[in-house]
Amino acid sequence: MAILEESIKEVMELKNYINGEWVESKSDQIWDVFNPATRKLLARVPMSTKNEVMAAIKAAQEAFPEWRRTTPLARARCLFRLKELLEKNFEQLSRVQTMEHGKTIDESRGETRRGIEMVEVGTGIPSLMMGYNLEDIATGIDEYVIYQPLGVFGHIAPFNFPFMVPLWYSPFALATGNTFIVKPSPRDPISQVKLAELVDEAGFPPGVYNLVHGGAEVAQILMEHPDIKGITFVGTTSIGKEVYRKCGETCKRAIVQVSAKNFLLVMPDADIDATIAALLTSFFGNTGQRCLSGANLVIVGKEDGFYRNFLNRFLEATSKIRVGYGLDENIQMGPMQSVDGKERVIKYIETGMKEGAKIILDGRKPTITGDYPDTCFVNPTIFENVTPDMRIGKEEIFGPLASVMRAEDLDEAINMANNSNFGNAASIFTSNGKAAREFQYRVECGNIGINIGIVAPMAFFPFSGMKDSFFGVLHGQGRDAIRFFTESKVVIQRWF
Amino acid sequence: MIINTCSGAMSFAKDLENESAQFYQNLSQRLVKDKDIFLSFVKENGEYIMQIERAYYGVITDAIEGCFAFNIDTEEYAIRMDLAEKANYSEALAKAIEIEEKIIKFYSDAAEQSKSLMADVPRAFKMVAKKRNNRYSILKSLLSQ
Repeated sequence: MAILEESIKEVMELKNYINGEWVESKSDQIWDVFNPATRKLLARVPMSTKNEVMAAIKAAQEAFPEWRRTTPLARARCLFRLKELLEKNFEQLSRVQTMEHGKTIDESRGETRRGIEMVEVGTGIPSLMMGYNLEDIATGIDEYVIYQPLGVFGHIAPFNFPFMVPLWYSPFALATGNTFIVKPSPRDPISQVKLAELVDEAGFPPGVYNLVHGGAEVAQILMEHPDIKGITFVGTTSIGKEVYRKCGETCKRAIVQVSAKNFLLVMPDADIDATIAALLTSFFGNTGQRCLSGANLVIVGKEDGFYRNFLNRFLEATSKIRVGYGLDENIQMGPMQSVDGKERVIKYIETGMKEGAKIILDGRKPTITGDYPDTCFVNPTIFENVTPDMRIGKEEIFGPLASVMRAEDLDEAINMANNSNFGNAASIFTSNGKAAREFQYRVECGNIGINIGIVAPMAFFPFSGMKDSFFGVLHGQGRDAIRFFTESKVVIQRWF
Repeated sequence: MIINTCSGAMSFAKDLENESAQFYQNLSQRLVKDKDIFLSFVKENGEYIMQIERAYYGVITDAIEGCFAFNIDTEEYAIRMDLAEKANYSEALAKAIEIEEKIIKFYSDAAEQSKSLMADVPRAFKMVAKKRNNRYSILKSLLSQ
């Protein structure tokens, strides 16, 4: 099967996008961005200076009054133009993601589609932003609520979905009349540069959308600046707690979507073939680098026969996964995004072995389709006899590692999931409606799957999360996002 | 070769459509009597590609089993799509029928394999299989004339 043409031909020198202009950074701290599969240098990204971040904040602040006065219809039309441009550039955007992140082309196209769906929902803002009213709350007196934008919002992006995650927020922020600053992950910032180019082409006024490259220092300035009204963050729980604390100190709104340890329960009455395919996607899709990935596979039931049969099927299917460069259309799993990521997974594999779990598929010496350096590659790994108190059973690994556990019945399996500190996602595979309802009712997670491996809420639903997987009140996407990016104002009126 | 990914299945489908379009293009020059029928097949092939791509690009998300939805052995659908220089009318039509059988089998198998996983894509595959069945009937009736 052919390897698709690469969409980045030359090493890019990345610039900031501030006040509608592409501005070269004066920073002398430059990071290299590599293709994790081929290890080819793709770009150089600056760690922007404080002055550059301040310039972006100033531009966004100054653009706000005019943008909030722009009618919702006109704002929506900007998003319609952006949507058209995204469709036109769909394939190029997808290939950039594969090149800078490592995911397969199917996964990248899926990410592009999800991102576009956020923009599509944003175009509905004239309806979504409507308030409500009641006549005659007392005789001759009416009351109504209106929703208004707040000002400048900042987003601190993760590396695992370099195109889509910032779009969980920006279309909603912009549509509601706010201005926006995105700080992409310095590990894979090119997708956001490509997006900003299209935002520019779509004709958003200068300063409404800004992009500043950098690391923790840039994030710190955004979190501390009094003119930033809110921060959205996706990353790890440890950093997320710090983000949430900082936002609290400066009285900012915050959506903090963080780590996970997701349990997937397989009941004896599950449809085996469909379940296996869903599990492969869940555990090994995006090379396990997503907060909705399966982490712990709990096979439920007392019967040894079912347990052994199901595990063998899962093992057999997993061991056939083709690992390689995501632009090869027949590849099913790409490399880890970074050397650090690979090292982390290998450490966890060693930890699991020391803890007494049984390794039944060892991915440390990767088999790669094609001639690529193994620098970032690790193959799928499966442990069985994992218990919830082991580190590999309770800590987020963020890689292609499945920990298999066993529960006697549904009750025990739900308790195992609920004892986790995290509450991002959980799924059950069953053909029994009663068991599914019981699971949905009791499990303490924000995103619940019933015969679904990756419980990714659509753009018009909130991306939920609980416990140590989410800090905040309102979530990203859907109506929650509309409320997050607006202030409600109540008006009570009487005319004499 | 075994194809498991949606992207791979789409490309394989596109190859079949393009190659068979080329076959019918040649046929239209060789069998001038039925030229219009064969040229309409060429046009349809282009439409099938568009419909399949539309389904794929519209429905693909990171959440469904894009990399694990198929188990297609391309050898099962391998067929030479060139026409022997001396092939007569009946032989040419027999070849076309053989090609259609293979392609219909591909679309039917691929739709069946992914029906619970890939949402709109198997529906598009089924639809193309159905339309190609109509074409198959047309070819059969030409052969029996």
